[in-house]
Amino acid sequence: MKRPRKQTGMATWLASLMIISMPVLAQTDLDRLTELEAKTTAMAEELAILRAELEAARQEEPESELEALRSEVAVATQTAQRAEKSANEWKNTSAVTHISGYAAAGFTSEKNGTDSFDLVNFNPIFHFQYGDLVMWESELEVRVADNGETEVGLEYSAINIFLNDYVAFVAGKFISPLGNFRQNVHPAWINKLPSAPSGFGHDGAAPSAEVGFQLRGGMTFGEQSRFTYAAYIGNGPKLEGVGGELHGIETGGFAGDKDDEKIIGGRISFLPVPKLELGFSGAFGDAAVVENDGLDLVDDPSRAYTVLGADLMYRWNNFGFLGEYIQQDIADNASSLIPMGGKWESWYLQSAYRFAATKWEGVLRYTDYTSPHPDESQEQWTLGVNYLLTPNSALKVAYEVNDGLAGAETDNNRWLLQVAYGY
Amino acid sequence: MKNRPSHSVLAALAISTIGLGAILVEHPAQAAESSETSQPDPMQFVRGAKAWANNCNRCHRMRDPKELRDDQWRAVLSHMRTRGGLTGQETRDILAFLQGSN
Repeated sequence: MKRPRKQTGMATWLASLMIISMPVLAQTDLDRLTELEAKTTAMAEELAILRAELEAARQEEPESELEALRSEVAVATQTAQRAEKSANEWKNTSAVTHISGYAAAGFTSEKNGTDSFDLVNFNPIFHFQYGDLVMWESELEVRVADNGETEVGLEYSAINIFLNDYVAFVAGKFISPLGNFRQNVHPAWINKLPSAPSGFGHDGAAPSAEVGFQLRGGMTFGEQSRFTYAAYIGNGPKLEGVGGELHGIETGGFAGDKDDEKIIGGRISFLPVPKLELGFSGAFGDAAVVENDGLDLVDDPSRAYTVLGADLMYRWNNFGFLGEYIQQDIADNASSLIPMGGKWESWYLQSAYRFAATKWEGVLRYTDYTSPHPDESQEQWTLGVNYLLTPNSALKVAYEVNDGLAGAETDNNRWLLQVAYGY
Repeated sequence: MKNRPSHSVLAALAISTIGLGAILVEHPAQAAESSETSQPDPMQFVRGAKAWANNCNRCHRMRDPKELRDDQWRAVLSHMRTRGGLTGQETRDILAFLQGSN
């Protein structure tokens, strides 16, 4: 019977223990619960904050990208605008600088003479323009002389002031406006033959250049007709005596006037239809011999100097026709050291035909040049064939039949080859 | 040396006076240019093509408009205006044609 009493006591002890310990256990769970609730609340708050931040970040991030994109676009736009401005600014400048000109190389085979590569010319032309009001243009002539030296000359250098639509004022050294060949045809890429007509080169019958003032321009009237004009005043030519007679009339254009006599002249041309031009030239004044046998001559009396010329140009389809007459006349003066004057005159007719749909062109020219010096006078036939490489370049072959003073260079026939380029 | 005012001096003065007189009147080139800027002339290209065909091969072969840039044609046309006796209006017309064709 002791055993049941012992078991009953154990049970009673356990029950007492449970009863005693139950409030302690209940208190611990409550704390934990409270702690958990607090933690949960904190976590919920943190989550809310994170969500808010996430939402804010989601809202902010696209805006910043857009802003960055906008900034990039703005930079790119500015860059493009600067590039466009740079690309187009040359079109909108007030001032323009430009170089053009022409060059030629040639070979001459002369009967009773030598065969030689005798021509290397380089003629750059510089244009300096301001708006539509002013342009200064200059042409240099650079050439290799037969002694190997390089010769440089100033063909012209003048300012052109466009006073209105019909008048340009020119001051400086300019190509003589007398006649047509010197001012319009002589550049190698324009001249259809390798040589100039006799008397139309330097110091022949046609004046080359002048230093002074000039007014020139043109106007239209009717449907197709036009009129051009040029009027100038300049220092005029220099006369030189050699061996007691006039050697020639130097008309290269001089920035000085030893005889203090000016020349007044000009040219008018009329074009009843666009392809036909008729020109008339004249210049008048006094000139004096300023050099004799290489020595300066002072106070030699002046004598009358006259230039007269007429020219014709006509084009019809592939056919082109040129004709010109010009003369320079120096009057006699009995009180001069060289009393005898003289007349230098020349004329030529030229026709050219470009064979249709080809680059070949045939040219025929007749020239008759008369000088006071018999060894300079010459009658000349020139037949040429050109191959037009481009609109501004040509290969030219020509044969001159020359009739001059027997034994003189002007009596020798010549083959001429030339390559000319206008740039 | 001469003490009298020679005829050449008078002629030089006359040319200068005419030039100065001309520059005092309206400058049509600039006037036309400013009006063109505000109001383009649709017929200018056509007039320029015609003037180009009529004038530019009087002395030399026709040059391709594509040979040069717009600014280069400006200088070339000013050169040819003086050399060929073109009017200011013809020059602007031909320039418009060349610049529109290169």
